[in-house]
Amino acid sequence: MPNNQMLSIGFPAILASSVHDIKNSLTALRALLSQLENIYQDPKPNEFKHLEFETNRMNSSLMQLLTLYKIDLSQFSLAIDEHRAADIVEDIVAQQSTLLSLSNIELITQCDGELFCYCDSTLISNALCTLVNNSQRYCLSKVLLSVTQENDYIVFSIEDDGMGYPENLISSDYKQVPQLDLVTGNTGLGLFFAETIAQLHVQGQSRGFIVTDNGSQFGGARFKLYLP
Amino acid sequence: MAINLTSKKILIAEAHANLRETIKHIFGSLGARFIVEAESGVDAIAAMKKDKFDIVLCDYDLLGKKTGQQVLDEAKHLKLLPVNAIFMIATDEHRLGLAPNAVDNKPDDYLIKPFSLKQVSSLLEKCDNRKRFLAGIENEIDSGNLFQAIRNCEKMLELDNKSMHLQLLKMQAELSIKVGDFKTAAKVYQDILDKRELPWARLGLGVVAYCLADYDNAVNTFQGLIKQYPAMLEAYDWQVKAYEAMGNDRLALSSINAAVTLAPQSILRQKKLAMLADKTDNIDLAQKAYTAIIELGKNSIHRSFSDYSGLANTYLKSNAADKALEIAVKMAQQFKADPEAKLRAALLEIEIYREKGNERLVERAYNKICELNGQLNKQLPRELRLNMAKIFCLNDNREACDEILNDLVKTYVDDKLFMKETVALCNELIGENYVETLVESLTQELVDFNKEAAKLFKKGDIRGARGVFEQIAAKRPNNPKVILNLIKIILHDIKTSGASPEKIISTQSYINTAIQLGIAHDQISVLQTALDTFKNEIEQ
Repeated sequence: MPNNQMLSIGFPAILASSVHDIKNSLTALRALLSQLENIYQDPKPNEFKHLEFETNRMNSSLMQLLTLYKIDLSQFSLAIDEHRAADIVEDIVAQQSTLLSLSNIELITQCDGELFCYCDSTLISNALCTLVNNSQRYCLSKVLLSVTQENDYIVFSIEDDGMGYPENLISSDYKQVPQLDLVTGNTGLGLFFAETIAQLHVQGQSRGFIVTDNGSQFGGARFKLYLP
Repeated sequence: MAINLTSKKILIAEAHANLRETIKHIFGSLGARFIVEAESGVDAIAAMKKDKFDIVLCDYDLLGKKTGQQVLDEAKHLKLLPVNAIFMIATDEHRLGLAPNAVDNKPDDYLIKPFSLKQVSSLLEKCDNRKRFLAGIENEIDSGNLFQAIRNCEKMLELDNKSMHLQLLKMQAELSIKVGDFKTAAKVYQDILDKRELPWARLGLGVVAYCLADYDNAVNTFQGLIKQYPAMLEAYDWQVKAYEAMGNDRLALSSINAAVTLAPQSILRQKKLAMLADKTDNIDLAQKAYTAIIELGKNSIHRSFSDYSGLANTYLKSNAADKALEIAVKMAQQFKADPEAKLRAALLEIEIYREKGNERLVERAYNKICELNGQLNKQLPRELRLNMAKIFCLNDNREACDEILNDLVKTYVDDKLFMKETVALCNELIGENYVETLVESLTQELVDFNKEAAKLFKKGDIRGARGVFEQIAAKRPNNPKVILNLIKIILHDIKTSGASPEKIISTQSYINTAIQLGIAHDQISVLQTALDTFKNEIEQ
């Protein structure tokens, strides 16, 4: 039997409100973590890195959940505008800054300051952040975030020196709803989200897409997001 | 390099104490020394009344149900923000799509939660750079000098700053629309679209079509956008306007209803929904919207007693006189210090008691109206005064009715829409030609004034002629011909007896009035160019 009170408020409103509360908690949690870190001398306990990684992951998952839900309800629109690719890269680095400071991972960026792309920068930056976050977890020592132009596309690439993507995440159909891998806990939701968002970016006959392989110049995983 | 906030005054509005502390800590790390905290929207506004802040970071959800958007609207309305101040709203991603519309104010940027020190610093720097770059345009807009703002925009476009190029084009097009130069606006938008399909440029093209009264084209453009971007609320807002202009209130209602479903928190959209639902006799929907408005209106600058009277009227229409009376009483209680609210409540009471068949109370309410009208008279809004004229006429008090109508026609004779409403009411109540006769005498007065000014002008008494035109302009502030003549005579005065700061300022002010009156761009631009030449001469 439907719950009348819930029907009158509306599930989207309840979901949005819950996400808002959790985001507030995450902001406070991050601040508390930062205060705690200041108490410890370098090298700081490894647990901080894990905590930071997990808060980033929770934040990404929440955002993806709400965005995908809204796309499903046709209540979502891209806010497409012109952006300097370097600004998006800078934003990703800013979002990852705490985690980077806690680990020995080097995040290398390569982007021509004169490169511009047309996209919803908040969404693209979030989608890429999730994947950079993952790379930081699975790499050995470095992650490269670069932006280049390939024909009519601006390409954001994330390459690392880890073990590479598992077979099921390479050249798969990203449009398939991800299945939970109970052994690794890997859902592939980040890739599914990136593909969904990429596909929403259209210019004329061209549409955005993603590619994953293990062709990183450092020998690990390589993710590429193509925006028309 | 991180931005240094040592000399900046900062306001942090955030409901949660621990988050406020966090944000304060972040700003402190960037050198901030002067930080004021607020936990509610009311506190934030009070702080802004006390100090002029350089940076305001306001959470979207504050205590007391006032949102960050409402704080921004109120701050802009009360002119509490210096023109170069940065106002950022902290929010999560999902609010972004539902944020400002065609009528709301836009913040400088959004800070997405959760945020780190680096993110705050980077965003502040970006906003600061943008503000500095655009200051020359923003300052002119703030002073109402739209033509100068456009010229500054054009000059800055020549600098060929790639990061700001599109932003400048957007401003140029929007300013061109404001001064009625639709041709330039359309060209700017089309040039952008020829290179890249951008939703705001497409929307701009639709707005231009709307302004040129090409409503079919406008509606098609907005429909196309909504199809592609189903949550693009600005497209819905403009579609509503276009349907209204076409006289299709039912389609307008359908569009605004769709927008309200997506973003029910916008009080101005709810007001539009209530008005259209009322007009099209969708009583249930109107009631729902008015109820939402009253709830959203708590602590909002858009709160008004007309929301209560609107709701009460819907109850009257659905034969629920007791419920209507309940709302009228609530309205009088909520706005007890405001005599206008008492007057509106009394107007409602007449209808309610008539419905209930209680003539004694109808009479009592009427007497209250007569008394309040005597006290308030010209201070009342014109729509209400028109309604009062109707009530007096229906109660055979022609003297009071005529007094109001005479004054309304005299004051608003150049406002076509209002005059249409007035004529319709007079034709229904008093008879044909009532307003026309009044208008004729005013036209004659205008002709006499013009003759007098022309006589003085011929004699070479430019100052005297200007004085006469200023007298006319005080009487007929919305008359395009009067304003244009006044501008021309001051420009002639400048040409013959030299420029002075007073003459320049006063001409610019009348040109700005001409823009607001919607006088054709080609007529105004000639005068603006002449004024600019004199301005340049005086500056050299």
